[in-house]
Amino acid sequence: MVIKMASIELKSVIVDFPVYGANARSVKNSLLRISTGGKLGADNNIISVRALDNVSFRLEHGDRLGIIGHNGSGKSTLLRVLAGIYEPTSGWCYVEGKVSALLDVMLGMDPESTGYENILLRGIIMGLTREEIESKKDEIAAFTDLGGYLALPVRAYSTGMQLRLAFGIATAILPEILVLDEIVGTGDAAFMDKAQTRFSSIVEASHILVLASHDLNIIEKLCTKVLWLNAGQIAFMGDCQDGVALYKQHR
Amino acid sequence: MGLRFNLASHDIITGIAGWRIWLLLAWQDIRLRYRRSILGPFWITISMAISVYSLGFLYGHLFKIDLHQYFPFLAIGLLVWTLINAIVTDSTNALIEAGGYLRQIKMPTIIFILRVVARNFIIFAHNLVAIIPIVIFCGMSLGWHTFAVFYGLVIIIINAVVYGLILGMLGAKYRDIAQVITSLMQVIFFVTPVMWMPKILAGQYGYVITLNPFAQFIELIRAPIMGGWPSQYCIVMTLVLFLVGFVIATIMFVRIRHRIIYWL
Repeated sequence: MVIKMASIELKSVIVDFPVYGANARSVKNSLLRISTGGKLGADNNIISVRALDNVSFRLEHGDRLGIIGHNGSGKSTLLRVLAGIYEPTSGWCYVEGKVSALLDVMLGMDPESTGYENILLRGIIMGLTREEIESKKDEIAAFTDLGGYLALPVRAYSTGMQLRLAFGIATAILPEILVLDEIVGTGDAAFMDKAQTRFSSIVEASHILVLASHDLNIIEKLCTKVLWLNAGQIAFMGDCQDGVALYKQHR
Repeated sequence: MGLRFNLASHDIITGIAGWRIWLLLAWQDIRLRYRRSILGPFWITISMAISVYSLGFLYGHLFKIDLHQYFPFLAIGLLVWTLINAIVTDSTNALIEAGGYLRQIKMPTIIFILRVVARNFIIFAHNLVAIIPIVIFCGMSLGWHTFAVFYGLVIIIINAVVYGLILGMLGAKYRDIAQVITSLMQVIFFVTPVMWMPKILAGQYGYVITLNPFAQFIELIRAPIMGGWPSQYCIVMTLVLFLVGFVIATIMFVRIRHRIIYWL
């Protein structure tokens, strides 16, 4: 059997975000632009934010990368680039291996559907067949500890319960590359313990881990490498201890 | 450009292959819409029946047309119009509504267009039940031409996918498109032979029908059920429309697919 090695390579990745004003995207503006010879308001309406600026790095099989940086430094954008959601404005991102991303708990969950339906929905989206989901359903149900609530619509859940379900579903399949944004701490103590255990086992099983967090303790505990982003640029990339120490100093 | 093209075709191929996803999303849309209602999706059938039977009586008498002739004409026209109209208007919002998924999970873009098409074909199937009695009672002649219905459905599906994709992309970029299209479709309804028969306009104003793609799509389904072959012109025009749409959709999708996520 050939073991496929997971790897990630970014080459001078730039991500520019167009930030549209309230009416920048209307047909009226486009027409106005044409009628004024492309001068008035041409691109003035669209402010572009450079979220990632010339980011290059390489991750090999077995790497565990922690991403640190202030709010708005581009952490989430970088995770979305790795997950294949954002394609770089320029530069390249090569990813070898199946990626699973847990970015925002409620995104991609349907509040009107029941817990079971959301398990099915998410499973199908992740490429499983109904039979495979059926076989995993009990395991997910047991993990979430939601019992009868799984038959209720998700909108009736508390935030913590939603987190349990989302975490349970997203981590039911072991991905080759796991991309995580800020492990949210809204669960109660018992659940956090459970999540911690589950989390460690996934981290063990995944070939590459990329984790963005403000919690330096978690980064130090889980990661071998650290990437410090500052205003979209790499301020430091390398050994975890060194990076965290440098970051603390700088703060 | 070559890479862009490969990524775009990869999106289309994996999207179509992910039929489990778009079919499930389509069914879920229907289920959620009728959740907690006693009759559930059967409401689709009932409301279609109410429109067809009441409009049929009313306009049949107003136009003084034999009801045996008018009822099936109106029923099939309304059935196909409802399908096309819903696909056109839903498509403009398809990608915007998919933002929640697209921002969280990497998924092929086309899935959300296929979801709209699939959803409306499920509704179509429910509507079909409402008009079957009419078609039977008013006497429909079965024959080889009946199979042309399936050809017509295939043509409508492929057109729906390419034009749905175009409208989806336009709708995501320009937020006025959805409003424009909705009002436009209301006008188009009146210049399309759904309520009135094409022969009224024969002659001087014939172009209202011959140049109207919606009239041709309806004809593609209505003619075979009413007992004849769709005209050659109708078959060629709908095919040409598809090819034109396919080229436009391909060019647009290859060029802007990677930007869509930033518009949502």
